[in-house]
Parts: sequence; C-alpha cells; structure tokens
Amino acid sequence: MRIGIPKGLLYCKYHPFFETFFHCLGAEIVTSENTNKKILDLGVGTCVDEACLPVKIYHGHVASIKDMCDLLVIPRIMQVCKNEYICPKFCGLPEMIFHSISGMPEVTYLPLYMHDRKSLYKWCAAYGSIITRNRSKIRHAFEHAVNAQRNFKTGISELKKINVMLAGHPYVINDAFLNMDIVNKLKAKGIGIITEEFAPASVSEAQVMKLIKKPFWTFQRSLFGASAAFHHQRTIHGIIYLSSFGCGIDSIVIDLIRFHIGEFPMLVIKLDEHTGEAGVETRLEAFIDMLERRVDNENNLPAYGQCLYSGENSV
Amino acid sequence: MKITFPHMGNVYIAVKILFEGLGIDYVIPPLNNKEALSIGSKYSPDEICLPFKLMIGNYMAGIKKGADTILLVGSCGPCRFGEYPELQLKILEHLKHNADFIVLDAVKSIGLAELFSRIKTIGRESDKRLSEKISAVIRAYNAMCIIDDIESQAHFKAGYEKNRGECKRLLNSCKEEVFSCNDPDKALSLLKSYQKKMSNIPADYSKNPIKVAIIGEIYTVIEPFTNLFIEDLLMDMGVSTKRNLTPSWWVKDMLLKIIKLNSREIIKASNEYLPLYIGGHARECVGEAVLASKERFDGAIQIFPMGCMPEIVSKAILPAISRDKGIPVLSLIVDEMTGEAGYMTRIEAFIDLLERRREHVLTGN
Repeated sequence: MRIGIPKGLLYCKYHPFFETFFHCLGAEIVTSENTNKKILDLGVGTCVDEACLPVKIYHGHVASIKDMCDLLVIPRIMQVCKNEYICPKFCGLPEMIFHSISGMPEVTYLPLYMHDRKSLYKWCAAYGSIITRNRSKIRHAFEHAVNAQRNFKTGISELKKINVMLAGHPYVINDAFLNMDIVNKLKAKGIGIITEEFAPASVSEAQVMKLIKKPFWTFQRSLFGASAAFHHQRTIHGIIYLSSFGCGIDSIVIDLIRFHIGEFPMLVIKLDEHTGEAGVETRLEAFIDMLERRVDNENNLPAYGQCLYSGENSV
Repeated sequence: MKITFPHMGNVYIAVKILFEGLGIDYVIPPLNNKEALSIGSKYSPDEICLPFKLMIGNYMAGIKKGADTILLVGSCGPCRFGEYPELQLKILEHLKHNADFIVLDAVKSIGLAELFSRIKTIGRESDKRLSEKISAVIRAYNAMCIIDDIESQAHFKAGYEKNRGECKRLLNSCKEEVFSCNDPDKALSLLKSYQKKMSNIPADYSKNPIKVAIIGEIYTVIEPFTNLFIEDLLMDMGVSTKRNLTPSWWVKDMLLKIIKLNSREIIKASNEYLPLYIGGHARECVGEAVLASKERFDGAIQIFPMGCMPEIVSKAILPAISRDKGIPVLSLIVDEMTGEAGYMTRIEAFIDLLERRREHVLTGN
C-alpha cells in the first residue's frame, strides 16, 4: 500500500502526524518533491484561475504524485482550534481537487478537526482500516502520531541588531520556492527574523481581545495577535508580510494590522505565479535600507507617507 | 439614533416598512451606483470583495444624510462576510465618520441573550407597544416575501409574456410606487395588489423560452448593480430566469438552520458534489446547479465577486456537474473593474449557445 502525501499547504505544520501514522502501520509513503517550477506549472494548469497561489501549488503537488500511490492524503482540515476556521478552500479541498484533476486515485475526504482527539482518531480509524484490520495497531500508530505532532515545533526566531517579523500563513513562509526564498535573503543581509509562533501567548491574546468581533479565523488570530504583541513589546523594527494574491484572509488581516500599528514600518509582498524575483529583491532592499537608517542614523524616520500627508493619510 | 443599513436588492423596501411601522428614524442610502462604488473602492482594502466596497459607499452616503448607527446582519462562518464589521468600523473611524455598529450575528456564536440585547437597543428607540412592534416585524417580513415573489414571477414570466416588456414595466412601477408610499399598511396592500397584477399578466405557455438558473454568491446575485442588471438584461432577451437565493429565503434559512431543517432539497442535491458546509453559499450554488439540470433548465449562470473564497471552490466543481449532468454553466466574476461591454458579450454568447444547443438537440444533430 502506497500512501501519497502532497507537500503543500499545511503539510509544513502537520506532516509529522500523517507520516508517523501511516509509517507505523507499515505503509509505504510517497511524498511529492519540494515545490519547484514543474509543480507550479502543473498546479497552474489544473487549478481554477481564481484560487490563491498555495492552493494552485497544492494542485501541482497532487498531480505530480497521483499516479504513484493507492491512497492520496488530502487533509480536509476544517478547524485547528475550537470554533475557529482556516479558510473555506480548505474545507472543500478534496472536492476541488477531485473535480479539477482527472485520473485521481482514492483520496481521503473525511473532515479533520485537529483540536479534537476523538475526531482525529475517527479519521485515523477510517483510513487505517484500509491498511490493516488490527484495531490495536491503529490505536498504537495514532498515539505515536499524536506524540510526534506534539514534539514538532515550527517557526523561526533568530534575533540580531535589526529584526523583522516575518508574517504570513505558515505554508507561505515555509515554502522557499513560493516565497522566493525570502528567509535566506533576509539572513544573508544580516536581518533578524521572528515568526508568529514565538509571540508571548498572553500578550498576543490580550491584543486580540481588543477587537470588537471575536475573530473566527485561526490565522487571523495568530497573525494579528503576534504582530500586535511584537509591536507592543518593541521586539521588532518592522513587519514583512508575505501574502499570496487573492488570499481572502490576508485582505482583512493586513489592514487590521495596519490600523493597529499605525506608522510602524510594514512591507507587504504579494506573491503569485507572475511575481518577478527582481522586483521582490528591490523592495526588500529598500525596506531594509529604511529600517537601517531608522535604527542607525535618524532614529525616528517616518514610515512611508506619514509626514507628507499627515491628517488625511489614505487608508 | 438614526439608523442606516447597506443595500441588498429589495431589502430596503421591507426595512422601510419595518422602521416606519416601528416609528424609528432611518436613512436609506441612495441605491447602489457608481459613486458608492468609487467611494467604497477608494477607502477599502484592494483585495476585499465587492460587497464590502459597496457597503462602505452606502455607509458614507447614509452618514452624510445624518445617520449615526449602522445596522448589519452578521455571520460567523469561514467566509469573509463575518469579518466585515470590524474592518468597516476601523475604516469609518479612520475617516472620522464615527458611527455605531449594531451587528445581528448568528445565535450560535454570540448567544441568544446577546442577540436579544442587540435587538433591544433598536427596539428601545421605538415608542410603540410590544404588540405593535411584533406586528410591524411580521408585516415587514410579509412584505419581503411578497416582493421576492413578485420579482421571481416577473423574471420567470418574462419568457412567456404576450406583450414584450410587460413584466419588467410592472416590476419597476411596483418598486417605485411602494417605495414612495409612507404608510406601512398601505404599502403592504399595494404590494399585494401588484402581486395579483403580476400573476394576471397575459402569458403564452405554449412558448418555450430559454430557461436559465442564476446561482452563486448571495449578495452579487441579489444586488442588481453588482451584476450589471443581468436579470433585466435577460428579461429583455425573453429569457426565463430563476434564482433561489432571495432575502426572504435567507431569513428562512437562518431561522431553520437552528433546527437544521434549512433548504433540504438543495442540500440533498449537493451531497454528491459537496457534502459539507464550507461557508458562504457554495453548497447552495452546487446544489442549485444540480437542481437546475433536474428541472430541465437550459443553463446556469454563476455570479460571484472576485476573490470570493467559497465560490472559488464551487467554481472548481461546476465543470464536473456540467459534464455529468449536461448543463452548460457560465461563471461570471464581478468587481469594480468589470467592463460592461465584455460582460454583456459573454452573456449574449452564452444565450446564443443555449439556443443553438437546443436546435441541435431537436433536430437530432
């Protein structure tokens, strides 16, 4: 039995769980390659045009391994925290893929609620039983998988003289091809990086509570909370927000953060299949130059536009 | 307190009847137009969906006319609509247009007590007795159902009418006359008389017009300005259209959702293609496409705003339904940059295709 696991979307966060589970059951695991040009092209060719880049790339990952496996794991992650969601596209992912790519093998379509042990086990029992009839073996593999997931931590925290928060959905930050290797570009320039995972939970929660409406997106909560917390505690000198074009959640979160931090430096980089690397490089350099000057020389150089148009700053 | 609210199709007529019955001060912003859109797009985030932008335009117009409170229904699903109020409030604050928001959210996430207290803040403004308040609400709901009925009759009958354009004329004069009437009881009886008139329009049922189902995201299918008046256009072309999503359907759906008995037929039809709720009205869109093929419609037109997350999923599924069930589907994506000429051309070409398709089927080619 060969189990295919595409390396897209929340694979970066939950791969220990799925891989350990199927590995313990003795299945052979086929993962796709790291994202590359070929996978991107495959994805763009099969996915609906309006979807965001990570979803397109996910289609590419699926298309690249669909013929090499008997069961393809397409996690329909409905929620990762209670009463919170990720994005409607995650909830309809199996259908989206099944009807866009032809010649699909069997896929996992049961919903996953990552915060709920019971529902997780239900999922595992359903797909584990395809491989083995042995219930205790499935139970054992499940426990292992949960432990592996628990011990798995993501995120970057390397603070230096000048630090930025790298904000964005985990599948954008962790995919070096998708984000044009921004992490290493920043490191090469000697910039410290911190991601939302390292925000102190209590401060971040306190900032989220300031919102009048309780956010129902997990990533909105964590990204808004973390940027507000870092800003509040002065851990960082600026925010670099990696967003994919057409991301519904980012279209709200980015502006919420902007309203909250006011004149604090923030660079938003929108990524999609048409983004040119040179343009990204130039903007990064300009942003870092600005941060350096703020820190080294002029101490309080305003962020873009603020002094020139004080009073009627455009939204 | 002077209340204003965003537009969505004919809701303004029902809300007018409601507020007049309650004796609450209100402002109705001008119907959605280019100005609302340009103001909205100027102050909203670029990538936000079209309804958000238009709503900002509506609020600004309402505030200009003296409104200080904005009434909005909410949602707490995974679709962006639920996050509107937070950002809209911040944008208005930033522009120094302070207004209070009253958001009628889903009971599931704010609790019944909170919802009631929010409704009470509106109710306190009215000096009517409780029984009068209740009858005002019921009257407004009835009015909404009747308008929706008149409209859907007109849209469907347009293909069968004997005198070209009669349905459309009657629909337009109905809206105008009811809106200019300031007595809620009179408005309701006017509506009822129009309902009768509409069903009495002479029709020739031996005709076999092209029948199209309008499906997609609820705001853009209901609000004619956003879809460039597609239903009027199709009426002019003598095409019968049907659309399930109406404001009164929405109210019924919200109420029945609590006991999980909402739109059972649509859910049953969508089970094969999308068995779970994914937010917005994606599931309804998929189910309606299936139903349209069952009801022998010639085609379906899906309309949604650029970047609408749930509808992108249904757009990915629709080609499969089209293939399996043999029903052509056209997806139209609208935003503030939609060019009218290109849009019209696509609709005309689609109707042409449906006509030719039918000829071929009949002649057996």
